[in-house]
Amino acid sequence: MRVLLVEDENSLGKEIKKFLEGESFLCDWATSFAEASEDIAINPYDFILLDLGLPDGDGLDLMEEIQENQKESSIIILTARSEINDKVEGLERGADDYLSKPFSLLELKARMQAISRRKGGWNSNSLEIGNFHLDLNAKTIQFENQDIPLTAKEYKLLHFMSINKGRVLNRFQLAEHLWGDHLDDDHQSNYIDVHIKNIRKKLGEFAPTDWLQTVRGLGYKIQK
Amino acid sequence: MRLSAKLLIYNLLAKGLILLIFISAAPFVLKYFAVKNTDNQLREKRDEVISIIVEDGMEKFISSENPEIGFGSYNILKEEYILLELWEQGLKVDTIFVEDRILERETVTYRVYSNTFEYGGDTYILEIGRSLETIKAIERIIYNILIGTLVIFLALTFFLDTAFTEKILQPFKKIINQKISQINEPQQFSYQLIKTNTEEFKLLDNAISDMMRRIQKAFNQERIFISHASHELKTPISVLQSKVEALFSREEIGDLEMEKLLDMQMTIQQMKKTVNALLLISKVNNAQYIKTETVQINLLIEELLEEWEDYADDKEIVLALEKNDPFSFESSNESLCRMMIQNAFINALKYTPKGGKISVISTSTNSHHQVIIKDTGPGISDDLLEQVKDGIVFLKDAEKDKSGFGLQIMFKVALYLDVMVDIKSSTDGTAITFTCPIQQD
Repeated sequence: MRVLLVEDENSLGKEIKKFLEGESFLCDWATSFAEASEDIAINPYDFILLDLGLPDGDGLDLMEEIQENQKESSIIILTARSEINDKVEGLERGADDYLSKPFSLLELKARMQAISRRKGGWNSNSLEIGNFHLDLNAKTIQFENQDIPLTAKEYKLLHFMSINKGRVLNRFQLAEHLWGDHLDDDHQSNYIDVHIKNIRKKLGEFAPTDWLQTVRGLGYKIQK
Repeated sequence: MRLSAKLLIYNLLAKGLILLIFISAAPFVLKYFAVKNTDNQLREKRDEVISIIVEDGMEKFISSENPEIGFGSYNILKEEYILLELWEQGLKVDTIFVEDRILERETVTYRVYSNTFEYGGDTYILEIGRSLETIKAIERIIYNILIGTLVIFLALTFFLDTAFTEKILQPFKKIINQKISQINEPQQFSYQLIKTNTEEFKLLDNAISDMMRRIQKAFNQERIFISHASHELKTPISVLQSKVEALFSREEIGDLEMEKLLDMQMTIQQMKKTVNALLLISKVNNAQYIKTETVQINLLIEELLEEWEDYADDKEIVLALEKNDPFSFESSNESLCRMMIQNAFINALKYTPKGGKISVISTSTNSHHQVIIKDTGPGISDDLLEQVKDGIVFLKDAEKDKSGFGLQIMFKVALYLDVMVDIKSSTDGTAITFTCPIQQD
C-alpha cells in the first residue's frame, strides 16, 4: 500500500515514515503544502495522512485536490490543532478519520486497518489467534464456530493486540486505545490487567491462551 | 422581583397611602364644613325670622298680653326648631352650641344658634336649632360617595398602570430575555436591535451589544490562542511519543533500557493527559463544543456499568443500578456528557474500598432528570471540594500521585451543559448528583 505523509515537523515525520515502512507501507513524505500538492497530482495513493498546520498553507485546503486526483485514497487528518470546527470541516470535506496529536503510531496503524477493512481493501476480515478466530466484521471471537462472549472493551483490547502481534504493548498504549486521553486516572492502565485476566479466563475455558503473554514490568503481547 | 411588579406595587402603595390619609381625614374635614355650613344656615334663618318680626310684628309670635309665654315651634320631623322668648336677664347672647333635647322620650342632638336682639324696647332671645342627625346623614352620604369614587379611581388606575407599565417595559423585557437570559455562549448573541422609542432602552441595548462584541473578540482571541498553544504543546509530545514507541518496538533493547523507556512513556502519558485536560477545560470555557446532540442517559449509564463491571468485581465492589429511567438529554454533547458522568463514576471506583458499594440512581421528574452516583468511600474533604468548585487550584492528590483534573473537568463540563452538580461527602461516602434540565415543548 502506498501512503503519502504530509507532515512539516521533521522529527515526527521521520518517525511516522520509519514506522510505516516497518509495517510494509510504501511511504512518500511531503513537508509542505506545495510538495504535497505536487505528489497528489502525480502519484496514486491508498492513504493520505494529512497534517493541517503546514508552513505554506492549511492542510484542509488540500482536500479538494485530493478529492479530484485521488478518488480511491483514504484520508486521515493528523493534527495538533484543537478546534472542533477543523474536525467537523475535515470530516465533512471527505476525510475518513481524524487523529489528534499526540497519537500512538500503533493507534494510527489500527485506524488505517479499520478504514481499509471498511472500504474492502483489506485482504482478510478475520484474524487467527491460537485456536481462536476473530471475526472483524461481527466483532466477535469464536472457538470452533462457538461464540465466546467478550465485552466490547475486551474485544477491542484483543483486536488491538492481534493487529500488533509480536509487539510488546504497554499498559499506557492499551489504555489509550480503549479510553482515549481524557480518562481521569493516572493508574487507568491497571484496569488493563483486569481485562486481560478476564480475557484469559473466558478464552481459557475453550483452549490454552499461552499465546497471550505478560511481559513482566512492561505489558502484554500476542505471540506471532 | 420584576421591575414591572415593583412599579405597580409602588403605584398602588402610593395611591393607597394617599387614599388612607384622605379616608382618615375626610370625616373631620366633612364634619367641619358641614357644621360651618349649618352655622351659616342658622344665621340666615335668624335673619329671616328677624325680617318676619320686623315686617309682621312680634305679635305674630308672642302675645303682648302674655309676653312671658314665648314662641316655640318644631317642624314635623323634629329636624329643626325655633324658640323666641322675652329675655330679661340683660346679658347679650350670640352663640352657637350643641345641645341634647328630649322630645317624646327621644334624645335629639341639635346645633343651636342663640341670639338676643332688641325689638320694641324689649330684649328677646331667639334660638334656632337644627338636628345634628341630618348633618351626620349628609356627612355619611358624602363620605360614601367619596370612598366609592376613590376606590373606583384606585382600581381603574391600577389596571391602567398595569397595562401602561407592561407596554413601556416590553422592549426592556425583550432586551433582558433575548440578549441576556437566553444567552449562554457569546455565539448565540444576536446584534439585531430591539424596537423601542425609549431612549434609555436604546442605550441599554447598544451597551449590551458593545459589551458582547468585546466578549466575542476576547473569546475568539482565546480560541486562536488555544489552537496555537495546542499545536505548540502537542507537536513535541507527539515527536517524543513516536520516538519512544519506535525504540520500544526494537527487539534488541535490553530490560534496563526497556524499563527506562517505560518510565519515559509514563512521563509522556502524564504530559499528554495534562495538556489534553488543560486544553479541554479551556475549550469548554471557550464554548468550543457543539451542543446539538441528544444523549440517551440511561443507555450511557448501562454502557458505563457494563464497561467497569469487571473492574468492580475484581476490587470486590458492588455496583448497583437502583433506578434507570429512560431519558433523552437534548441539546447536549455526547462525549462531554459521557466524560462528566464517567469522571464521577471512576472517582467513586477509585476511592471505594474493597467490599464497598457504588449505587447509581437515575430518575426523571417533570422538570428535570437526576443521576446520583453514591459510593461508600472515605469521602472528599470540604477544603479540596471547595478548591475544585472554585476552579482556582488544580487538585493534586499527592498521596496517590494523581492529578485532580477529573473533578475539575466534571464541574466545567456540567456548567457548560447546564447541568447542576451537587456533591455531598462525609466519612461514610460521597454522593454526586447531576441535575439535567428537561426541555419543555
